Order: sequence, then structure tokens, then C-alpha cells
Amino acid sequence: MGRKKSTIWGLAAIFLLFSFVQVNACSLQDSVSVNLQAKHITIANVFKTLQQQTGFIVFYNNDILNDQQRVDVNFMHAGVRQVINYIISGQGLTYTIKDRFILLQRKSAETGQLKTDLAAVKVADIPVDTLITGVVKSESGVLLAGVSVGLKGSSLGTITDEDGTYSLRVQDMQGSLMLSYVGYDGKEVSIKGRQRIDVVLKPSVSSLNQLVVVGYGTQKKSDLTGSLSSIDGKALSAFPTTNVARALEGRSAGVYVQQNSGAPGSGIQVRIRGTNSIQGSNEPLWIIDGFPADPNILNPSDIESMEILKDASATAIYGSRGANGVIIVTTKRGKAGKTLFEFNGSYSVQRVRKKLDMMNATQYAGLYNAFWESTHGVDYFSQDQIQSLGKGVDWQDLIFRNAPTQNYSFNVSGGNAKSQFSAGASYFDQQGIVKNSDYRRIGMRISANHDISDKFSVSYNVILARVDNNPTADNLDLLFSALTAPPTVGPYLNDGEYRNLNTVYPFSPDNTINPAAYIKEKSNKQFANNEMANLSLIYTPIEGLSLKVSGNISNTDQRSDSYTSTKYPNSSGSASVSAVNSIHLNSDNIITYTKRINKNDISATAALTYENFTTKALNASGSGFITDVTETDNLGSANTFATPGTSYSNWTLLSYLGRINYAYADKYLVTVSFRADGSSRYSKGNKWGYFPSGALAWKFTKEDFMKGVNWITDGKIRVGYGLTGSTAIDPYYTLNMLQSGKVPFNNDLYTYFAPGTRLPGNLKWESTTQTDIGLDLGFFDNRIRIMADYYIKNTSDLLNPVQLPQSIGYDYTVRNVGKIQNRGFDFELDAKLLDRNLKVDVGANLSLNRNKVLKLYGNQDIQGTVYNLIVINDYANLLQEGKPISAFYGYKFNGLDDQGHYVYKDMNNDGVISEADKTWIGNPNPKFIYGFTADMQWKSFKLNFFIQGTQGNDILCFSLINQNYRYYQGFNTTADVFYDHWSKDNPSAKYPAIDNILSTKMADNFVYNGSYLRLKNVQLAYDLPTAEMGLKWIGACEAYISAQNLLTLTKYPWWDPEVNSKGGDNSINQGIDYYSYPSAKGFTIGIKLSF
Amino acid sequence: MKKILTIVLAVLLLDSCSKMLEEHPRAIASETFYKTPDEVVDAVNSAYASLLEGGYTTYFTNLAACADNVYAKGSLAIIDEYQGFSTSNITNMGGVWKQLYLAIRNANLVISNLAKNTNLPDDQKRQFIGEVKFVRAFCYFNLVRLWAGVPLRTEDNMDEIDLKRSSKDEVYDLIVSDLKFAEENLPDAPRMLGTASKWVAKTVLADVYLTQENWAKSMEEAGDVIASGKFSLVKVSTPEDFEKIYGADVLTSSEEIFYFKYNSQHSWSLMSFFHHDGDGYYPHGPNYFAFYTTSDNYFYEHWDNNDLRKQHDFYKWDIGLGDNTFLFRKYVDQDGSTPPSNDWPIYRYAEVLLIYAEAADRAEKGPTPEAVECLNKVHRRAYGYDPDAPSPVDFNMVNYNEESFFNLVFREKGYETILECKRWLDLLRTHQAASMIKKTLNIDVDTAMYLFPIPITETDFNKAIDPVKDQNPGY
Repeated sequence: MGRKKSTIWGLAAIFLLFSFVQVNACSLQDSVSVNLQAKHITIANVFKTLQQQTGFIVFYNNDILNDQQRVDVNFMHAGVRQVINYIISGQGLTYTIKDRFILLQRKSAETGQLKTDLAAVKVADIPVDTLITGVVKSESGVLLAGVSVGLKGSSLGTITDEDGTYSLRVQDMQGSLMLSYVGYDGKEVSIKGRQRIDVVLKPSVSSLNQLVVVGYGTQKKSDLTGSLSSIDGKALSAFPTTNVARALEGRSAGVYVQQNSGAPGSGIQVRIRGTNSIQGSNEPLWIIDGFPADPNILNPSDIESMEILKDASATAIYGSRGANGVIIVTTKRGKAGKTLFEFNGSYSVQRVRKKLDMMNATQYAGLYNAFWESTHGVDYFSQDQIQSLGKGVDWQDLIFRNAPTQNYSFNVSGGNAKSQFSAGASYFDQQGIVKNSDYRRIGMRISANHDISDKFSVSYNVILARVDNNPTADNLDLLFSALTAPPTVGPYLNDGEYRNLNTVYPFSPDNTINPAAYIKEKSNKQFANNEMANLSLIYTPIEGLSLKVSGNISNTDQRSDSYTSTKYPNSSGSASVSAVNSIHLNSDNIITYTKRINKNDISATAALTYENFTTKALNASGSGFITDVTETDNLGSANTFATPGTSYSNWTLLSYLGRINYAYADKYLVTVSFRADGSSRYSKGNKWGYFPSGALAWKFTKEDFMKGVNWITDGKIRVGYGLTGSTAIDPYYTLNMLQSGKVPFNNDLYTYFAPGTRLPGNLKWESTTQTDIGLDLGFFDNRIRIMADYYIKNTSDLLNPVQLPQSIGYDYTVRNVGKIQNRGFDFELDAKLLDRNLKVDVGANLSLNRNKVLKLYGNQDIQGTVYNLIVINDYANLLQEGKPISAFYGYKFNGLDDQGHYVYKDMNNDGVISEADKTWIGNPNPKFIYGFTADMQWKSFKLNFFIQGTQGNDILCFSLINQNYRYYQGFNTTADVFYDHWSKDNPSAKYPAIDNILSTKMADNFVYNGSYLRLKNVQLAYDLPTAEMGLKWIGACEAYISAQNLLTLTKYPWWDPEVNSKGGDNSINQGIDYYSYPSAKGFTIGIKLSF
Repeated sequence: MKKILTIVLAVLLLDSCSKMLEEHPRAIASETFYKTPDEVVDAVNSAYASLLEGGYTTYFTNLAACADNVYAKGSLAIIDEYQGFSTSNITNMGGVWKQLYLAIRNANLVISNLAKNTNLPDDQKRQFIGEVKFVRAFCYFNLVRLWAGVPLRTEDNMDEIDLKRSSKDEVYDLIVSDLKFAEENLPDAPRMLGTASKWVAKTVLADVYLTQENWAKSMEEAGDVIASGKFSLVKVSTPEDFEKIYGADVLTSSEEIFYFKYNSQHSWSLMSFFHHDGDGYYPHGPNYFAFYTTSDNYFYEHWDNNDLRKQHDFYKWDIGLGDNTFLFRKYVDQDGSTPPSNDWPIYRYAEVLLIYAEAADRAEKGPTPEAVECLNKVHRRAYGYDPDAPSPVDFNMVNYNEESFFNLVFREKGYETILECKRWLDLLRTHQAASMIKKTLNIDVDTAMYLFPIPITETDFNKAIDPVKDQNPGY
């Protein structure tokens, strides 16, 4: 082999250094097969082709390999190793692969140092080389292996080893090092004579080339034509939360997350771009690793990233399941390279954010003296008695506690070029701030990918979660009673028995329970075992074509055990058990083809999917136990049994779908998709629904006329339109089925069969069209990025419950009549404000949504639930054409009359106050919602805060109505009632006269501004200098302290404005606060380790 | 080749998918039901079901509160001001309307489906139809008394959404014809206790005729029930013996004609309204102590203290309204370990006797020996005497004319059926509501209270009823 020393390979080395920069664009997800047939081709060109096709870069020194040597090659779908092995065979070389770098070495070579011949020549001239060493880490402290480190202006270079360390011999100690690494910003560091240079690399500012998961595939973020928000897994696990959906609050524009109550594990309501359906669910579709799933199965630490698909061009591929938006969750994946261990642990203490200022014992006695005086003409409590009462008992202290939360997660990931894995375990344990409420989750997860051959690969995911939830104390009766109980007495009698709070005074209420008895003697324990497992086989017969066949099983076993002990007042012990099993089977068969022809990029996806869901339930209960020992575990020993119940339900969804993405010159982008869904739930002839969509995008910054405009780095305009649907009805809804029940005759129960109260009818799909216009802008090298979208969503064929006159014997029927519109604006901003010693990154999002009911069946209004608060027995929410959905409808407050009773406005001036005087009194839909994050870093310190809030929404506070207007029943009230009730001397008081006349109505004086701004989380973190501490084996160690809900700005008078007591996936009863479990304030300490 | 295979596969899938998308619920379809006797029995049972549900308690609570001899608390307290019903009274009563019409729907379904049934023999079909026609008549009898003329839903118009109010007479015509059909086709003994027999139908018919002031026919129907010899008054000697009629453990008694039957699995939710947590009469709870009277109540004050019913029915308990307050002991369940299984007496033999006495007095323009005997049976029992033998407390016919005997019977019915939900309807029927309330409380009753308004849930969605023009007076 004739060796030709020339500068060519030197140039090749320089080229390689440049190509490090290019390689930034290469994604780890790229296909790793090589196709090359050539005769008499230089090895250098083989490597070049290898890099083009796979992204792998080969490092070598020309003194070990003559790359101008020519070879014959014939690779078809060959693996990288196959190629390298072929090239180096018989040359006495070996290689190592680190990430996308392949280092060729002599079999006896000691280091990965790359030296050019040119340098070697200079060695002779300048005898003293200086060895520079250092460690390269990521910002989060992870040691980075495979980072290329080169001397600027030379061809000297090396890459870091598994410990992130490098060493490089240089002569010019005044030069600078150039570092580059996939997915990170390149960095130039001046040597300034130093021999030890540690470097921290930052992830690329431009995440535009990052791949995002879209329905049934992935796409480059820069090529998106639809509206999509990405959320990094790290943001979701910023502070401990029971639920992934909860962690989403305030993180993304267009996503409105509301908790129904503050209890651990309580229900969460998520609305993406408003409410579309009355009958059906308004919750988004959650897709975990490709399949529909329940987000409760996840710990936030399991999540790599989350994508929220908002507009129809993004969601139409989910057809009948896409109308409410789609949230796609990708769990953590393994990467080839060193095995990485990560541990996160935190410990929090929470307490109630705000206690209510209730009357103390003296005030209570004073108020009820006023009451007794007005109703009986005398005082009830004597002055001596009042004197002896003092402050009395604060019942809130008896139910609230400081509650700890522990959260630990451990992840291990790694692999080689052929196989990668990621496995995780997590434990989350939250004690509720109200005694006898808690939530625990144990999670286990593994994902594995393996390339069987060049053409076949397989991937397997399993997620297991065990959730134990004890929502006993998330109970209206308990919270209501704790506020209502008279502060003059405690929970126990002298003999230790529970005090009956209904008999303390003659004016005591008839419906309070003893909170202490409730907390100690009642339990409601629930558990769920969730499993989700899926297996995919991917076949890539030729370049660009892939077939993916995958199957998934999600199984949930839930059980709920409720027990009331024999010690509970008036209880002989009662137990009830219910169990639900559901199994969800999916089969996805997806073909994807991508091709580039000149400037035309085409990607096509087609799929056939099948879903089947079966759920079975069982419940049984009994009462009358001789012992509490058995609790719910020996139902057979009960004295009496209720009729046991079982149920069965099944649905099937069969879908054909397709999508074509086309891009011309990376400038003009087109997406067209179509889905046909067949659902078992609809009547024959109406089973199939068809959901097309189309979108265009124009990257105008790629045009010539924008060449001179440097400050706009990236700019894209998007326009999309599409149709999505909602199944909206339960299985068997269109069938005329009889229901059974029991009716007592003789002394026994007999079965009866009769139709239900809903008159069945022929129904078809509910469909939503959505138009979205969006603008993506990046300024100053994408240091500032903006995403803005305007959308109009029209839901038609709205499945609409139609009330029937009750004399027909059915309450309602459902018809496909009705229209709802949601219009709005989403805005997201990311900016790197400072990037020096002090780094400041901020992110903000803002969403405005306006919804309007356009049409209802026969202009018939739809009323919310009638709530019997005794003082008021009325509905609060109403749907009416032309009005926002679920707005509050009621009376207008008009002051107090001369007897101290409420009067209401006679809106129609007919002299009487009747239903006809009701009007719009509030709107639970916010004018806008927002979130704001800021990350600051100075040396090893990081400060981060997250603010979130809503503006312009109203809350109807049932709790306050119930608490402060029933004094005739001996309720404790908030202290302001004592100070500010009507009397002759205080005619314009806030509260009416203390007597037994009820003058309250569902009116605007109970509607409060629910706007708030909340410092959701603030965190201070410190990176421990582990290397200096001699803990070299630890890659990074961050310790932090944080506070949750530290600060809340709101005018809302009750416990907390983050409340939606009657919310649910299709509830029209919105914005109601009815003794919801209050929110907590928390402090957390935690540690994050990786090694 | 691959392409062909794909196409073939797709076609096969398309073909099989229509099957995949069929629904197979594990439930009974309406179209296939009402065929066998067992199925029809289960359908007939459904006609009673909604009446025995908890919500029907509103019928009791609102009507009991209206009566002059009972006061009420909470949201019912406003009734005792007699200035109109509150929104919550009206809304709750709308629930009763709904339950009555649900029973009527289920009855109509049986009638119309049995008309199509060719499997069952005619006499069996007539018996089933008789039973549901009884239920339908019972429901319309309550509807017409509480709301006057109402939409008349029968098997012929059950699917018409918009249906106007019929006149009171039309409603009564259907009630009478349904009850006559039931009387002719039902057996002597009920299918089960709590279902209708011939005698149950006759009892209700006697009450219907009494309400219509068709005295002769009322006397005749009640007389048939008495003459059947199938019923007798339960003998008592102490106040506690009334437990043999109302007690939680009583399965049935010789006095039972038509009761809503309850047991610990399907219990009587009304029990929660009578007692106080502290008194021990209903330890199972919850207790709302919603009904009371006071020692200065006219009715209570003038009631003879020696009457065992008075001794049994009341107990003194201060619920914050003074120490002259009495709660009611008529229904108690002192075993707190199970939910209350007391039955709800709808028609007792004692009432049939008093219906006869009143009807005969009116029909014959004065008391007859049989009428006096009927009254005396009830009266004797109340003082602990044998109902069937002359006693020292007997009334003597010669002392009374038509009017004074009516007053005597009416007073006796008040004592006998206090807190059985009879009094207010009796006051309305005999046009004494206003005078009795004036006497008791010195209040002029708002006469709108004689009827409830047609529920808004009906007028809003039944286009044949104008919410203003067709509404009851005063609403």
C-alpha cells in the first residue's frame, strides 16, 4: 500500500471538524442503515456516505489509515458496524462508538487522541507540547461523552471519553478550544495558558430541528403545519403533584386545567381550547407511547416530553377522538452510550393555604343571643356563660394538619448501537392536609428497543402503576361540619363518646356530623392496579419505507372499600365494596414512506387501527356488624345486605387513516390527512364518521426578500382547517334497553324491568370544525421565540339532551341538534434574556377563549343541576343560545329592606319577584389564563419561579351561602357576620337580620371574582461541586428548596379560587365552590443525582 | 403481489367490520319483552316501583305540613304560614308529579304491550291489566287532587310529547273506569302484600266516590269491603299496642288493605323526618324532627287525654321551640342496627269504616245504625275496648243529625289517621281547610295552596300547556 502523505487527509480532518457542527442537525432518531454500492471508491468517500446516511462520523488519524485507498463496496441496509468492520478488516485496527462518533484506533492505541500528521511534523519543530485536560458536562451536570474538542484554526482534536474527560496536546497556549456536541450549542473557550479547562455545554437554543411526536409518527418541529405545544418532562416534575394533568397547569397556551378540589388524587378537568360538548366528554385524548391511556398511570418523572395537539390539522388524524385536543406523552427512552443512573428525591410539607376566619365561642354566643332575642324575645346565653366561653374550639384545627409528601424516582438507561433501554421506578406518597386523606403511587416502567437485523427492529414498553387513594376526607359533609360545628363545645363528651352536634342547643342544625367521628370512624379506600404493555415490530424493507405493527393492552383493576365503624354515631357498621375491571385492546398497523426528490420532501402515513374496550363492574354492600375488625373483608357477616350489582359495557372503534406531508424547498409545507372511524356506539347507518383536514405553512424567512433581515431568524405562517369528532355517547345509547330494579312486596324484594328515564333515539356523530391561523417567529438567532395562534372551533350536530315533559314518563331524549362555538387566541413566548455569568430565561403563555352556544334544540335552554342548599333551591348554570356556556343565571341583589331582609330586583317590573326576574349574573369562563416561568442561573445557583393565574372568571360560592345564611339553624359562620349584620343601627350591613326568615335567592351577591395570580412554585437550587468534594463517581448533584403556592393574589373570600366543585368531563355545572377540599401551601427540599 | 394482498386484506376487513361494530349489550331489549308471564310480572312490578322510592316522601311531607294538626320545620315551615308554597316546596312536589307519571308510563307500557301479546290467556292478561290499571288510577287520583285536571296519558297517547290538560271530570272518568276494571278482574287476595287485590280497588274506589261526593256509590264500595269479612281492626289495650299496626317488625295485620311495604334492604326513608337524635325512637338516623305540634294546637288541645291514640302518638320534646312541643311517636324503629322497615299505611280498614260512616250519613241524610257501628268500632278500639262489642264510649245514634254525625266522623278520622297524610285532602274535600286554619292559627289561607302549580318542568316542555293561561289559579 503506497502511502501518499499529502495535505488531502489534513483537509479531511478539517472537514471533519466542520462536520461536527453540521452533525448538530442530525437526530439520534435517524435510521442507521447504510446503502452504498460502488467500485473503486476511496475509504474517505465511504465514510462520507456513512455520515450522510447515518450521521455517524468516523475519526481516525491518517497515520493509521490511508483513506485514499480505494475499495469495492456493496452495502444494502447494512449496519454501521458492518460497514466499519468491512473497511478496517485486516488493517490491525479497532474502533469504539460513542454516540454518533466512531473512533478508529490501532489495536494497541492508548487514547483517543487524534493527531494530524501536520501536527506531528510540527512536533519536531516545537518540542514542548502542553497537555490540556478537562471535563465536559451538561448544564444539569451530566458528564458528556463523545464531545469533540478541537484547537481552533488547527486540525488538532479529540473527543471526550465516558467520564466526560478529554486530554489534548497543544503548543499554542493562547489559542482557544472549539467544542461541539449533538443537540448542544458549540462553544469556544480561550486557553489562556490553563492546563485544566472544564466546560459546561448548553442544549441548543434552537430546538427547531428537534423531532416532535405527532399522531402516528414524528415530525421536525420546524416542519409543523399545525398548532402544537411541547413541554419538557423536567418542567412537569418541578414540584410534587399527584397527577400529570395537574402538572400541566399554566404550562401551555390553550390548555385550561382546573382541579375540582385540592384533595390528593382528586379529579382534574382539562379543557383544550374550550368546551365543545354537552353530552360527551370534553377531556382531551391522552396518548402514552402511541396508545390511548389514563395519565394517572404516570409519575411525572417518567416523562421525556409531552406534546399537546390543539388545532384540527394536528388532531384530525385522531378523528372521532380528537375534538377535545390530544396530549401525547413520550416516556423516557434509553440512548446508546454509558449507562446513566438518575435519582430524584424530595420531601415536602404542606398545610392549608388559608384558614377561614370563623366566629369564636364568645362571638358565636353573641350571634345566637341576637337570634334568640329576635325569635324568642330573650337571650339564650347568660353573660356569665359568655364570659366563661372564651375563644372555644377552632374546628378547622381539628381537621387540618401539616402533611408530608415524599417523592422518589430512580431511572437507569443506556444501551449500545443495537439495543437501548430505559427503566424507572418511582414512589410518591402524599398525605392530605385534611386528616384521613392520602394518595400513594408506586410506578415501574421499562422500555427497550432492539435492532434484530438491518431490516427489523422491535420495541417493548411496559408501565405498571399501583395507586392507593384514600379520599375519605374529600367530603362535603366533613368540611361543612367542621366549619358549622359550634366553637363552644369539643368533639367528645366527658365519657369519651362522640358528641352529637345536632343536639347541643335547641337551635342546633339537624344535618351536621361530628368531624372527629367522621375522620376516625369512616374510611373510603381505593386502589387501582394499572398495567399498560405494548410491543411493536418495525420492518424497513427499503430506505424510507417502514411498516410498524403494534399491539397494546391496558388493564385496570380498581377496587373501592368503604367502611363506617360501629363506633360512628347511630351506626351498626356498614361496608360496601365495588370493583371495576377494564381492558383496552389496541392494534395499530402503520405504513410510513418518506422520500426526497430534489427539493420535494414527501412523507406519507397510512394506518389501520382497532380499539376495543370492555369494562365490568361489581358492587356489594352490607350493614350491621358485630365487630369492626373485619371492616370490608367479611361482608358475609353483615346483618342485612343490599342488592348486589354487576354491569358490563363494551365498545369497538375501527379506523382507517392517512396523512401526507409535503414540503417544497423547505419553504412551503402542506399537510393533508383523513380518517374514517366506525364506532359500535351509533345506530346502523350512522356508524361511520369521516374526518378530513388540511394545512399549509410558509417559512417566509427562507425567501430571498428576507435575506437582509437578520434579526428575524425563523418565521412561519400556518393555516389549517379540519374536522374532528366526538363519540359523545355511551355504548348502547341508541338501543331501547330495559333496566332492572327492586321493589319491595310482602317482606321481600322483587325484580322489576322498565325502560330508563331517557327516551332512546337514532343518533349520529357530533363533529367539530376548526380553523387555525398561526405564526411562529424566532428573533436574534432564535433567542426570542413566539408562537401565536388564532382559532375558531364550531361544533355542530351537537348531541343535546332534550328535556321532555315529565308527564311522558321520560326525563329527556338526546338529539343531534345544537351548535357551540369556541374562538380564541393562544400565545407562547420563550426568551433567553441574558446569557452571561447571569443567565435568565423566561417563558410566558397566554390564552383567551370565548365560547358561545349558537343553537340548542327548539331554542330550549338547558339548565344545570338544581342544588338544594335549603336556603336556596335552584340551579346556577344555564345554557342559552347566544350566551357563553355554563354562565350563571339568577336574581339581581337589590339591598336590604327595612326589616333587614334581602330584596331582589324586579327586572320585568311586574311587582313580584319570580323566575321571570332572573338574568345573567356571572360567567365562570375566564377572560384569559396565563403562565409565566423564569429560570435564572448564577454560577452554581439556580433560581426558578412559576406564576400562573386566571383573569375574569366568576365563582358562585355555595359554601358561603350555606355557611353564613343559616344562622337560624345554629351554624357557625364567618366572623364578619357577627360584626356586620343588619340592625336598626346598621341598616346597610353586609348580612341580613339575624332571625328565622330566609330571604336568600340564587343571586349575584354570591358571585365572586375568581381571578387569581399564584406563585405556583419558586425554587432555589445549588449544584454541588461533586468533583471537588471527591465524589467523582457522581456526575451531578443538585440540591434544592422550593415552595408551592407561596403567594396568591385574589379577592376571592373562601378557601381558594382554584376550585370547581362540580366540574367533570361533561359537566355544565362550572365555577361552583361547594365545600371543596382546600388548596395547600407547601415547602419542599429535594436532591437530584446522576452518575 | 404485496399490493394485491393488501387490497384483499383491506376488503376482508371492511366486510367483517360491519359485524365488529354491532353492539351486543347484556341487557333486555324492550321489543322482546312482555311475552312470558314472568316477564309480565316483572313489568307489572315496575308500575309500583317509583311510588315506593324515597322521593315520593315529598307527597307526605308537604301534605302533612299543610294539615292543621301538624306543624313543620325547615323548608316546610313556610307552609304553616299558609301564604303559599315556597319554591323548594313546589320543586320537590314536581318530583312527585314525575314519580306518579313514571308509574303511569310503566302501567301504560304493560297495557299496550299486553294488547299485542298472543301467548297469554285472556283472563291472565286481564288480571295483569287490572293490576296496572289500579296503579294508574291510584296515580291519577293523587294527581287530580293535587293539581286538578292534568294531561291524561293512556296507552293510546303515551308517545305524544305535547298533551293538554284534561278536565277534572275526564281524569275522574278514567280513574273510575280503571278501578272498575281492576275490581272486576283482580283476585280476592293480592298477588303479594303491597299489590292490588279486588278489595284494594274497591277501597280506593270508595275514596274516589267520597271525594266526588257520590255518597251512595262510596257507601256501596266501602260496604262491600266491610261485608267481605276479610279485614278487622287490631285490638289494643295499651298505647304501646298500636305498635302492632305501625311497628317496624309488623309484617302485616288484619287491618292492612293497601300499604307501601318496606324492609331493611329497601327501607322507609320517611322515618328520618319524625324524631330527634336524642329521643331514641329512631337511633339509626338521620333525624330531622321535621314535624311537631304544640299543646296549644286546637286539634291537640281538644283531644281527649284518655284516648290511647293520643297517648301513643305524641311525646314531649323541646326542639328549641319551647317545652310545650310534641313530636310524633306513630312510627318508631328503636332497633338502630338496620334501616327502618316500617310500612307506609296507604289504606287501613279503620279508614274504610270511617269512609262508610261518612258516605252513609250523607247518602241517607243522617246516621244509620251501620254507620254508627262503623264509627263506634274505631272509637272503641281507641279506648282499648273490643271493637266489635258495645262499650261505654259508644256514640248513640239518636244524639246526632247528618251534620253533627259528619263532624263526629270527621274528628274521629282526624284522630285515627293523624300523620297518615289524609287530613289536608280531607279538609279540602269537605271545604273546611280555610275555616280550620282560621280556627287553629287565625290565618286566612292563601287559596292558591288548594292546588300545586303544574310543574315548570312540564309547562316548559309540553307545548300544549300554556305556562300562564293553563296554570292553576294563583301561580
